[in-house]
Amino acid sequence: MILQALSEYYQRKTREGSNELPPIGFEKKEIPFLIVLDEEGYFVDLEDTRTGKGKKKTGRIFIVPQGEKRTSGILPNLLWDTLDYVLGTVSAVKAERLEANKREKEQQRAKEKRAAFIQRIKDTFPEVGADKGIKAVLAFLEKGDFQSLYNHSLWDEINRSTGNLSFRLQNSTELICQRNAVRRAIAEWVTERKKQRQRCLVSGEVDTIARVHPPIRGVRGAQPSGADIVSFNRDAFTSYGKHQGINAPVGERVTFAYTTALNHLLRKGSRQRIQVGDASTVFWAAKDHPSEEQFVAWLDPDPDDPDRGTEAIRALYAAPKSGAKPIDEDDTPFYVLGLAPNAARIAVRFWYPGTVGEVARHIRQHFDDTHIIHAPQEPEFLPLFRLLKASALQGKVENVPPNLAGDFMKAILVGMPYPRTLLAAALRRVRAEHHITYPRVALIKAVLTRNARLFNHPQQEVNVALDLKNLNIGYRLGRLFAVLERVQNLALPNVEATIRDRFYSAASSTPRTAFPHLLKLKNYHLDKLEEGQIIWLEKLMGEIMDGIEYFPAHLSLDDQGRFTVGYYHQRQAFFNKKNLDN
Amino acid sequence: MNDARKNAVCLRVWGDNACFTRPEMKVERVSYDVMTPSAARGILEAILWKPAIRWQVTRIDVLKPIRWESVRRNEVETVVSTRNVTTAMSSGRGELGLYIEEARQQRAGLFLRDVDYLIHACFELTDKAGHEDNHIKFAQMFRRRAEKGQCFNQPYLGCREFSAAFEPVEQEEELPVPISESRDLGWMLYDLDHLKAEPRPYFFRAMMEQGTIRVPAWDSSEVMG
Repeated sequence: MILQALSEYYQRKTREGSNELPPIGFEKKEIPFLIVLDEEGYFVDLEDTRTGKGKKKTGRIFIVPQGEKRTSGILPNLLWDTLDYVLGTVSAVKAERLEANKREKEQQRAKEKRAAFIQRIKDTFPEVGADKGIKAVLAFLEKGDFQSLYNHSLWDEINRSTGNLSFRLQNSTELICQRNAVRRAIAEWVTERKKQRQRCLVSGEVDTIARVHPPIRGVRGAQPSGADIVSFNRDAFTSYGKHQGINAPVGERVTFAYTTALNHLLRKGSRQRIQVGDASTVFWAAKDHPSEEQFVAWLDPDPDDPDRGTEAIRALYAAPKSGAKPIDEDDTPFYVLGLAPNAARIAVRFWYPGTVGEVARHIRQHFDDTHIIHAPQEPEFLPLFRLLKASALQGKVENVPPNLAGDFMKAILVGMPYPRTLLAAALRRVRAEHHITYPRVALIKAVLTRNARLFNHPQQEVNVALDLKNLNIGYRLGRLFAVLERVQNLALPNVEATIRDRFYSAASSTPRTAFPHLLKLKNYHLDKLEEGQIIWLEKLMGEIMDGIEYFPAHLSLDDQGRFTVGYYHQRQAFFNKKNLDN
Repeated sequence: MNDARKNAVCLRVWGDNACFTRPEMKVERVSYDVMTPSAARGILEAILWKPAIRWQVTRIDVLKPIRWESVRRNEVETVVSTRNVTTAMSSGRGELGLYIEEARQQRAGLFLRDVDYLIHACFELTDKAGHEDNHIKFAQMFRRRAEKGQCFNQPYLGCREFSAAFEPVEQEEELPVPISESRDLGWMLYDLDHLKAEPRPYFFRAMMEQGTIRVPAWDSSEVMG
């Protein structure tokens, strides 16, 4: 299903006439330097395609014949490659890194590589004279005299880089590997190999079966050279004595389509990917749809432009009212795929096939659940990574437990209960650090609210702001704790370790051990205050405590969550009151 | 039971987890959305199989919504090589051990959770059937065994570690109602043909209509290899 949806995405993009995705047998590759030749195969010029400054210079992206998956053997690409393959010399950067005796060996290997590079061109184009571009390249390479090239002012830079080289004919804008003759040859080559024809398990058509699939690049944490979704790299993974790709017969066409589509979605600067913990997440719709653009803005807005995200979410809320075309009823299929790295392989962390309407509804629900009163300078809608970070050690995304992020994302998309471990993790951070922050409380509140709704306990729901009618013991004790802290703060404004620093974790988990002591302490603090304040605070505490006969020995995890929310609400109420007084 | 087809049986199977592994994602496992015909056949054969009969799954009903779970586990990465075994056999000695500490791989899996299916199947008599064999005999045998919980090996839901609980459903009117969901499940593994020199996989286009997947016959044109 996953490969099928990806391959359909490729077909759709090609059908829509988009030139973002290369045709079959080709790929997009950065080629920083071009060798310009004349028709006789004489060197004319070196061209620098790079833009940018200093070390950030990047070459232009060209559509070139698909590269080979190289390990240690010699395997040339067609009409483009690195310095050692194209010219048969080891680049200066590489030579410097090698010891003297190895340098010799590498030099020898470069010669073999160059021979293989030439041989591949000859094999692909048996009639050399048919195309003037191919003819020029072969003439140039076979002459083997590159002195004029070495004398060029750009040569030093090429020698110091590890980038790819390709060829261009003088007076022509396209690369030689983009000429019609090459396109034709590749199309024939893809369709004509008849080695292992079998039914493709994705398309259901008979096709040549791919033995090895092209690598997927851009999954964070996987090997930079690319990793595989479909691969059988250990003996234990194969079945029935079958080898490599034959274990799962996928046709060459589908293989090309799904890997190209996935690489496109995962590429640098893609607007259709977000990072959720360790899961690189991509998403796409079955047809061209604005939601493909909006999804990022909903969950992971650009930090430099947070307003755009807020706007997008506002639009999500306004949609049912504006009446234009309710996004809720849009049944365009929408897919979300979460990929996690595992060295040379890629694992599917989650897969969600739904519709645009469903996703929109569920994301709105998520924002409803996380909505809680907050300071005016804080964002109204919290991005996903801030919520996740709030539950992690040192507030770092790397410290989010591997499965948690994926489960959280899945819960949002499907509208299921949030993972319970999330509540435990957030509370653990609160207890350890005594920082009751907006994202943390939003997270805790979201878990409680959603559970109460889904398991049909409306009385256990938690409100957005201070709820005087909430009689839950955890919530009330949280409020009481906030008042006690307030009392201390008014009496001793400059105290170093407040009762929050010293007693928060005890008070929130085992109230009976903390509160009697805290209430005694409060009396000393009250002595320092003015009459009016004392009356106000005593009255407030009386209201909160009304009906509490004893302090429980323990609070359950949920009640600890309510304690935190209650504390936060009460404190926010103090802030707001202060604002009003001013 | 309606006796129109005296060789038809109906078995309910359920379990906490299941993984009907997709071949293309059999390393970092991802399950098919529902039970495959070959997995259903495996369960039936675990309860009753004789050389005289061949099972044919006709329909699979999905009784609980499709839910997923992601799990990471450590597994063994190698198999004992045939060549080592041959050498050991000819020389009469050798090291054939496989040490998990040295051959570990962490593998992730996207499994189904909390599954419940109803398998509708029938069987045919093969040419190994003798004079005394008939449909009613094996159908009754299956029912007796299933009722008592007898099985040759523990039936499982796709992978051995996800064992299946089972019970026969006798009365037509007692049939549980499948979920009301329809979905195109794409191409799905039908079964492997082990008669060929190299076992060959066969596929069919699976559609779920109101929670029911109709399974074509082995020799129908819908099953393609």
